[in-house]
Amino acid sequence: MTSLRARAVTGGILWAVAIIVLGLAGVSSYLTSQTQARFVEVLETRHSQAVVAVSNNSDSTSDLVRAIGDLVYQVPFSGQYWQVETDLGEVFASPSLEEGRLPQPFSFDDERVSRGFTGPNGEAVLGIGQWVPVNDGARWYVQVASSLRSFEEEQVVLRNTLLTAFAFVSFVGVLGALTQVAVVLQPLNKLRKDVSGRWELEDGLEVKSYPIEVAPLVNDINTLMERNRDIMRRSRRQAADLAHAIKTPSAIMRNELDNLMMDGVDVQEANDALDRLDAQLKRSFARMRADGTDATVGVATELDTALGRMKRAFEALARNEGKAFAATYDAGLRVRMDQSDFEEVMGNLLDNALKWAASEVRLEAGQTPDGQITITISDDGPGIPKEEIAKATQSGQRLDTSKPGTGLGLAIAHDLIHAYGGKILLSKDEELGGLAVHMRLPFASAKRAD
Amino acid sequence: MRILIAEDEPVLASQLMKTLMSEGLTVDVAVDGAEAQYLGETEPYDVIILDLGLPIRDGLTVLRNLRSGGSDTSILILTARNDWTDRVDGLDAGADDYLTKPFHMAELSARVRALIRRKAGKATPVFSKDDVTFDTRTNQVMVDGIPTNLTSQEIAVLSYLFHNSGRLVSRSELSDHIYQHDGDRDSNTIAVFVNRLRKKLGSNLIETVRGRGYVIKATA
Repeated sequence: MTSLRARAVTGGILWAVAIIVLGLAGVSSYLTSQTQARFVEVLETRHSQAVVAVSNNSDSTSDLVRAIGDLVYQVPFSGQYWQVETDLGEVFASPSLEEGRLPQPFSFDDERVSRGFTGPNGEAVLGIGQWVPVNDGARWYVQVASSLRSFEEEQVVLRNTLLTAFAFVSFVGVLGALTQVAVVLQPLNKLRKDVSGRWELEDGLEVKSYPIEVAPLVNDINTLMERNRDIMRRSRRQAADLAHAIKTPSAIMRNELDNLMMDGVDVQEANDALDRLDAQLKRSFARMRADGTDATVGVATELDTALGRMKRAFEALARNEGKAFAATYDAGLRVRMDQSDFEEVMGNLLDNALKWAASEVRLEAGQTPDGQITITISDDGPGIPKEEIAKATQSGQRLDTSKPGTGLGLAIAHDLIHAYGGKILLSKDEELGGLAVHMRLPFASAKRAD
Repeated sequence: MRILIAEDEPVLASQLMKTLMSEGLTVDVAVDGAEAQYLGETEPYDVIILDLGLPIRDGLTVLRNLRSGGSDTSILILTARNDWTDRVDGLDAGADDYLTKPFHMAELSARVRALIRRKAGKATPVFSKDDVTFDTRTNQVMVDGIPTNLTSQEIAVLSYLFHNSGRLVSRSELSDHIYQHDGDRDSNTIAVFVNRLRKKLGSNLIETVRGRGYVIKATA
């Protein structure tokens, strides 16, 4: 679909062109008619002067040239001409005509008649002629003519001036239209940027920072984002409820099987089947959780809170096993992850570490100069052999292989971290000698002050 | 040793009860959160096994209420949810350990024994005093390396005294920790159990402090 900017600019330009063309035509036609009227007026004045001169000098025609004495009539082919034709056919003419003559009378009425024709040196002229009664009752034909050259020159100058003026107006108009479009579309640009940066927006878009025309759209986007979060929460709750509903009966069956086993019944296969069922459930729920995070928007977890909880919980668990757990992290860190997902990752990894540690588990969290959050969990357990590490970090494969030390917990953590665009790396911890799990997680910028 | 099981699923509750009673523990069952909290606040349990998904009042609330009421009873939470958030909620609210369903009974009883032992400040699962040894994992009692048969009540009394060795235990405290909530309590029977234990294990193991109670002095 055509962009709003293209629509606004094209529309504006078309509108401006239409206005300019119409304006140009209107103004130019008005000014032309004005110039023409003035030209005719001047010509009529000259004719009137000639008529007056003829009336006063009809007895001494030799004085006519002096009587109609305007200098322009003296200069050959000056463009201003007069000619008097008596009833006897005598012709008196302005010196400017040289040998040339103006045409024969146009009509025999007493009315003043004007018409255009070709002048003595070939240029277009406009002439006015009239039969004028003289003293003896005779009628002489008095004509004046004026070259249209000056009129045409004036027209050209007028047209050029108008075109220049309108070109300037058009230029300013187009600039104005572009500026206006940019200003009008600015909130939409902001909206586009805000929406594409939606991962950061825990509180949704700020409706107040948009004009009222866009605000309903912003509201709708916020509603959609909130609904997205709701759907996520609901489906998680449903998955959790389902897990809950299945696991208690599973626990009962397991206990009955244990009892049968104590009585000497061979229940190995039934036990294995139950193990597979439980593992499959756990994998499926983990997969549902990881898949769901792709659509999660606007989430962030304060590590002070989340790691604080993990620290207290795992200190208790470590105490139960007579092991030490230490967590050190900078204050004020925030990751762009849902808190329950973050706790799922940490819980699984710390649980693994605690299970395999001989006596000590450490957690360290900080921030790299480029803002990424790094978390390392290390233990003093047996670790994972190098060749197994490569396999363990391959996404998708480990879910189906449950090896000691690289169990489901690691796979769940791996999938969740990848779903959020983070990285997880396993290595041998140089200091403690066991497994070190390094994570890089996307950071969330500080919460908006409002 | 007295255990409260707070579990609303009757079959699972009865399985848990059977297992723990077979190990010489005294067990009460609460089927909802309100009852669990009431019993937890009024009875001197050694361990509370608390399912988080209880009706009427959820397990997490019961846990928080018990802790804010000053109870320091060891609490093991059971959760059927996959989420770590649930477990962390529980541990953060003051639970001592957790188990996720489904679990093996052996795992559960090991956790319960570990909690009891830790509360008593004992590092090993085997207590011994002079020529008598008591293995809390199997409830096996040996005198001079020869296994001795004890009834479940005798084991309950011996276990409580061993876990609290070095400390004087009154008859009423003993009866509080070996009889069920609605059981028929008679402190005279405690004297009967102690006498039987003396006959089977030798008269030096359990000392009587007249009018005050019994004590097993420092153990190894």
